[in-house]
Amino acid sequence: MPTTTASAVCTTVGNNILLRLTSGERDVKLKALRELKNQIIGNRTKKLSFLKLGAVPAVAGILSDAVSAVDVADNDENDRIVKDIIVQSAAVLGSFACGFEAGVRAVLDAGADILIQRGCLVEEMPLLKSYMEVVDAGARSLKMIYQSKMAPKYDFLQEENMEFLLSLLNNESENVSGLGASIISHSCKTSLEQKLLFDAGVLKRLTSLLGGSLIQRDASLESIATIFKNNPEVVSQFVGPDTGRTLSCIIEIVKDRFARTRLLASLCLIVIRNASPCYLQDVGIKTKLINNLLELLDDPGRVGDEASFAFSSLIAEKEDMQKLAFEVNGVDKLYNHLQKGSLHPRRFEGILLALADMCSKLECCRSRCLSLQVLKLVVDALAHDSSDVRSAACMCLRSVSRSIKFIQNLSAGSFMNETIVIPLVRLLDDTSTAVQVAALGAISNIVVDFTTRRSTFIRLGGVKLLVQLSKSMDSTIRLNALRALRNLIFLAEDKCKEEIFMELTASLLASLICDPEPSVQEQALALVRNLVDGRINSVEYIFAEDGIILDAVGRQLRIASKAEIEIQGMYVLGNVATGKESHKEAVMDQLLLRAENKAQSCIIKFLQSNDSRLRTAAVWAVLNLTCSSSPGSSGRLVKLHDAGIVSHVKNMVNDPCLDVKLRVKTALEQFNSFDDSLILCIFSPAASNNKASTSCLQFLTVRAVGELSHVVDPSSKEEESIANYFRFSMKKNKKKKSTRTVKFCFDVPADSL
Amino acid sequence: MPVRVAESSAPSQVSGAHSEESSPPICSLLTVGQAFSGTQNVSNLQKEEAWRVNVRIQGCDLEHGYLCGTMEALNVPMADTPVVTFWEGEIVDAKNYTFYTGKWEATPEDDIRHWTKFPSFAPLLSRVEADGGKSLDLSNYPYIFMRWKEQYFVNVGTDCGLTIAGFYYVCFSCSDGSINGFYYDPNSRYFFACNSFLTYYCPFQKLELKCANEGRSGFSFSSYELQ
Repeated sequence: MPTTTASAVCTTVGNNILLRLTSGERDVKLKALRELKNQIIGNRTKKLSFLKLGAVPAVAGILSDAVSAVDVADNDENDRIVKDIIVQSAAVLGSFACGFEAGVRAVLDAGADILIQRGCLVEEMPLLKSYMEVVDAGARSLKMIYQSKMAPKYDFLQEENMEFLLSLLNNESENVSGLGASIISHSCKTSLEQKLLFDAGVLKRLTSLLGGSLIQRDASLESIATIFKNNPEVVSQFVGPDTGRTLSCIIEIVKDRFARTRLLASLCLIVIRNASPCYLQDVGIKTKLINNLLELLDDPGRVGDEASFAFSSLIAEKEDMQKLAFEVNGVDKLYNHLQKGSLHPRRFEGILLALADMCSKLECCRSRCLSLQVLKLVVDALAHDSSDVRSAACMCLRSVSRSIKFIQNLSAGSFMNETIVIPLVRLLDDTSTAVQVAALGAISNIVVDFTTRRSTFIRLGGVKLLVQLSKSMDSTIRLNALRALRNLIFLAEDKCKEEIFMELTASLLASLICDPEPSVQEQALALVRNLVDGRINSVEYIFAEDGIILDAVGRQLRIASKAEIEIQGMYVLGNVATGKESHKEAVMDQLLLRAENKAQSCIIKFLQSNDSRLRTAAVWAVLNLTCSSSPGSSGRLVKLHDAGIVSHVKNMVNDPCLDVKLRVKTALEQFNSFDDSLILCIFSPAASNNKASTSCLQFLTVRAVGELSHVVDPSSKEEESIANYFRFSMKKNKKKKSTRTVKFCFDVPADSL
Repeated sequence: MPVRVAESSAPSQVSGAHSEESSPPICSLLTVGQAFSGTQNVSNLQKEEAWRVNVRIQGCDLEHGYLCGTMEALNVPMADTPVVTFWEGEIVDAKNYTFYTGKWEATPEDDIRHWTKFPSFAPLLSRVEADGGKSLDLSNYPYIFMRWKEQYFVNVGTDCGLTIAGFYYVCFSCSDGSINGFYYDPNSRYFFACNSFLTYYCPFQKLELKCANEGRSGFSFSSYELQ
């Protein structure tokens, strides 16, 4: 790019040119136009300068006048100059729009796109040989405008627009047909539009353009890809005798000598393959695509920059493709490019994302990265100027650390804890939200640690930052911060848990459990679940600040409707129920508290859930509450029985899920070990002044968990004496494990015994 | 771990393992964070030893039949401190892994000989002998069979005088979380003459673990999620 920056020079020349543009003489105008065109072509600085001088509206005005002066029927020499003026002014406007966003804006503001369309491409003009130049110039200019995102959206739904488009595509001129294809590539966004275009038969013409000139081929490839993108319906309709021909045509073009064409052909095939996986399944074609894209990385220009993004879209989420890419040394090749250094940010970002995709599922790729020392370069990228690069580096780290085996190797290997943790923690404060979220993703994996990395993270102030982020207005940040905290607390040592809890506070946790976002609620509950696990005194955390966390958990369980939330909540209660008696009783209180308008405990709904994980969690809570070793378990069992929970568990004896079935079996065995009945006390009326006796007289209820062998009717003659003390004998447990009697005695005056 | 010096084994190649907690586990007692404790008995011609063992599950990827965790051996002779190793497990699910090991110098005969030591294996024997158990549907079987291979020492050097050359054949009971295992180490065979035939005897090393609830009354579960 020429470095002429002296605006003085430009102004003088520029003003001169602009002055001549306003001349009444067509010759002068034409000459000025040509000069202007030569000045700005490929020169961004000059474009900007002329833009500021108002060149665009001026040229648009000239074009407008010239178009009005054209008489198609008239074909004499006078029109020669008018045509030239149209050609040159269209070229100037196109040049302003070429790769220069401010130029595009100015051109659109001046309505020049419509002018060009009306002036150069409408009606009979394209059919007249003498107007070919005009048509071509117009098409070229419009194509440049349509390469910009700012170009107006073409309305395919309008019938005349569709007809115009088809006429463009069917035109012999490569610029005109290329324009048609550009319009499709730019404006076709919705599946409806894709279908309209497909139904209008554009594919046939686009396919034939594949055999045309370079411009036509490239434009056609882009358009074909646009029509098929993410549209399995259209792709499936692409069945017929032509399909094989088109596909094999494109496959051939993958070997084209021009890099850009090879890239476009690959992208086209990727789009087709992603929309409808039944195509292009052949291992040969898959390998060819992979190799092609890896080779295209060698291209020093924009093609090389974009090749890695294409590679990502080819392998993302597809383990088979990642495996193939690994087998042709994909990781090594990407690493070699990373090593080159001083990469253009777009290229750097692309390669990092490609590595992230390679390592998203396969352990062999992660190991290869570790052994090649890829991580060092990735960690360096965490401090890059470009936020996209920083974000991509985080995603790469996240992907690579998505395995316990890898995390263990990190600990066991020579890669220092601090080398990764320090730059990541720094990014929690990044100006870009996307970077923060990406960093949180990587951190949440890396803190799942069974060695010292956790303490390094805490020492570096990581917890403070995470807690701060968990209060963010942005729910994505809140969610990801909580994920990281949850993983950090998993199996954490007491001291570590204490530090985290002090930073978090009970009130923040309680409010996060009741967060408006369900996924945040879920993570908050999962965090509490981990918090109360471990050493038994950890259970106390949930009772901090008058038990607000426990209350919040209970509340959420009663109103939640999402299984994931219910599962986490039940596990919280189940975990707390493994604590002391008071803990178990607190859980009972939560479970037996009824929600508004609900007749039964929420746990009954969970026991009947379609989700086996939820049923499992619910049964575990019951198991823990009625643990044989705890003295209060029999009493809790009675309450659970009264609430109808026990019978629900009994009904699950043939649950289709093995895990649930086994837990239920254990639960039933546990229930049977308490084969108890309640004992009645009947007091003599003489003892009516006893504070308990009045209620007892009315209270003659028999509650049994086991089977009753005998019921006493207090009014019957079975009573020997109303002062007697009756006891029901239990039906002995069939397995004869043990028989137990539990007496529930009321205050009995001594003389009635 | 057998109390003998030998070369430490190279880590094995394991296919992709990312721990997603979203799919239901086969058994809630075999999940990350769960702890087991018990003993490993070493009994051979020369001596009998037993040391206490604690195991914790750290990673679980059912889709790939992968499991991993740590094993801590206490009161090991020849070691001053508890010895911790990191192990990786293969779950015999007929999809990712079968009953035949196919590596680590274990022959199919070795495999059958060890699996049959577990009573819960008996009903499966004939199918396994026929096709390695590929046609078995183990998803509803209340026992999970695995192979556990220790990969490296976590807290001691390889010159500690212990070896992790072999691997365990493991049977896990889904109903109560108890684990039984038999250690197989091809290097620790004793050859001797018997009735003029040269034969070998393998020391008998049994691992017996129970689900530990670490001072709680009931079972507590925690979890993490790798993104």
